[in-house]
Amino acid sequence: MAELLFETYGIPSVGMCSYSKFYLKLLVHHRHPVAFGVDAAFSYKYNQQLGICDKDGLAISAGLTTSHVIPFVSGEPVFESCCRTNVGGYHVTDYLKQLLSLKYPHHMSSITWEKAEDLKMEHCYVAQDYASEVRLFQKGDNEAEEKSICWQLPWIPPPTEAPPSEEEIARKAAIKEKQGQRLREMAAAKKSSRIMELETELQGLEFLLQQLEHVQESDIPSFLSETGYVSKQEIESAIVRVTQSLRKVKGEQVEMEEKTEPLTTEKYPLIDVPDNMLSPDQLKEKRRQLFLKTTSEGRQRAKQKRFEEELERERKNQQDEEKRLENPELYLEQLHAKHRELSEKVEQRKRLKTNGSRSNGNQNLSGGVGRGERLNAAQKERMRLLTTAAFDRGKGEDTFGAREEDWQLYKLMSKDNDDDDDGPDEDEAELARITSRLQDIDPLFVPKLDVIPVQAVTELPKFRPLTKEDFQIVLGVERIRCPEILFQPNMVGVDQAGLDEMVGVSIRRLPTKGNGLEERITSSILMTGGSCLFPGMAERLEVGIRMIRPFESPIRVVRASDPILDAWRGAAAYAAGAQFSVQTFSREDYYEKGEDWLRKYQLRVLQPMIVILLSNQSIRFS
Amino acid sequence: METEVIESNILLPQHLSFKRVQLSEKYPKGQARGRHWKHLKQILQVENYQTYLPNEPNYVNIETPPSMYPSKKFCDITGSEAPYIDPRTNLRYANTDVFKRIRMLPNEYVQRYLALRNAAVVLK
Repeated sequence: MAELLFETYGIPSVGMCSYSKFYLKLLVHHRHPVAFGVDAAFSYKYNQQLGICDKDGLAISAGLTTSHVIPFVSGEPVFESCCRTNVGGYHVTDYLKQLLSLKYPHHMSSITWEKAEDLKMEHCYVAQDYASEVRLFQKGDNEAEEKSICWQLPWIPPPTEAPPSEEEIARKAAIKEKQGQRLREMAAAKKSSRIMELETELQGLEFLLQQLEHVQESDIPSFLSETGYVSKQEIESAIVRVTQSLRKVKGEQVEMEEKTEPLTTEKYPLIDVPDNMLSPDQLKEKRRQLFLKTTSEGRQRAKQKRFEEELERERKNQQDEEKRLENPELYLEQLHAKHRELSEKVEQRKRLKTNGSRSNGNQNLSGGVGRGERLNAAQKERMRLLTTAAFDRGKGEDTFGAREEDWQLYKLMSKDNDDDDDGPDEDEAELARITSRLQDIDPLFVPKLDVIPVQAVTELPKFRPLTKEDFQIVLGVERIRCPEILFQPNMVGVDQAGLDEMVGVSIRRLPTKGNGLEERITSSILMTGGSCLFPGMAERLEVGIRMIRPFESPIRVVRASDPILDAWRGAAAYAAGAQFSVQTFSREDYYEKGEDWLRKYQLRVLQPMIVILLSNQSIRFS
Repeated sequence: METEVIESNILLPQHLSFKRVQLSEKYPKGQARGRHWKHLKQILQVENYQTYLPNEPNYVNIETPPSMYPSKKFCDITGSEAPYIDPRTNLRYANTDVFKRIRMLPNEYVQRYLALRNAAVVLK
């Protein structure tokens, strides 16, 4: 410290009073002596001069990063019995900032350090009894609401959309109509161009065909090689294709099927010709034609079947309808009964297939199934048979095969006995039919769903537009919670006693006691430092100290005249005092004896504190 | 803070007439190694408190001892007295409503709440 002063600032001498310790109240002026010392001590001295506190007393200094309690006996600080807790105004602000940003994660960017500090200075107060005050907030009645502070963040209400006027609607409709018109026009243009294209192609092909008639048989391949077609048939088929697509484009009915029907014999001319009369090429062609014919016939058959089924269904429906008209109630009842029966049947089959895990359905849903559970009932039965057959040896006389039924076993064991039969499928189809019919007729009918409905469907929070309330930051308990850490530092994880208990600790540590000294000290307690500006601080301290002190001890807590600047004023007064020049430590001394001498002289306590303060406060003077 | 204020050098003038060596001379801008701050721990270590007499007050031995009262437990979310602790997150809570909120909290927030009272799990 001294090094800093002498080397950097070229100060002629440093004044140290016995209470000089660490808060650097530098009266820096070029080539002037300076004084440095403990802020609390300077502040206490200053207030003593003002008559606010007595010569025996106690200074409670709630600083930025630390809080100190220093007792004074006959005007001099007793450093042996001072104590320090590492909690201060910085921690209060930080706590408030963190709490608010955790409470309102969306507004984290609005809660800056400066804002938190402002909020702290403006709205935080010390509760006389924290527990009861908090209970008040917890109840959340009117009183708590009155005590809560609401900070409205800048918020602009979203523009409310007025319902569009008639004009607007008409205008929009017109635009839509216009666009539709344009699209239709585009489609029409496309269509006509396509028709043109196809027509020219058709003309070209027909022209080619006419030309082909004038060409001799042998010249056909060479003639056709230019056009890209191989044979006359191909050209013809191309013509057919083009005409069809032309018709399609023109919107005429395509009667392809009917047209091709009579052509069958013409289409497959080679099928009826015996093989030995054909060349290899023609044979290949014949095979192709045969294949084509069978497939087309198959398609035809399937179509026929579908048609018949349709007819059948129609017939059934008609019958049903008749029945229904005869006796609607009875019919409905029957239908219901049938539906029930069928659905049970289907259900049972399903259950069998899935190994009856429907009964303990949760297992099935969870998906965690072992190997055994993956097999269906039939497969399981097969496995059982196999294992019994494997171990059924040498147990008396082997009579296997004596009876006919024994051989059925092999059938059961064989792998492909998974009866994938049509029965259940039919059932299912019938069930579907009845269900749909019931849905048509009976408005009360609700088809049972296969899927087990998930019980706890978590309702998604509905999206709602942001309101003014979403941009409010409410300070409720935080108002008292944050300053409370000065009294209960373990709220922020600092395992030390709070301000009120520190007084007790300090008094306990006093080297000389008795003669009513404690009473005199407690009747002149001075609060200084920025953090004691919280409203209710003095009352709380008094309550806290009363709890530690004996019954009916005199207790008087006063606030410094200006808690923030009094330390500086005290130092200034000291430096201006008459005794200052005697108590100084000059530059010559420093050069002569070095820094360590200074340290040994008085400042063993003080030295590190100075440095620490400087390191914390981003030294402005270095 | 407003940029104009910072730029106008009101807060910290570049030239301090009472200093022998100006800050800008000592640590010219653009120099690789700027000034470095000592941490509290470093300073304390340099000071060598073990060599001092134990009955003399110094920075280390004037610290306040832990409180004599049993520490009260407060709800991490609402700040009211907390009779319960959530075993999963280790957060203290006051009632069922808060408990519901705790269970909805993402882990990051849980850790931040715990860090507020110095109880967060720090993985190294």
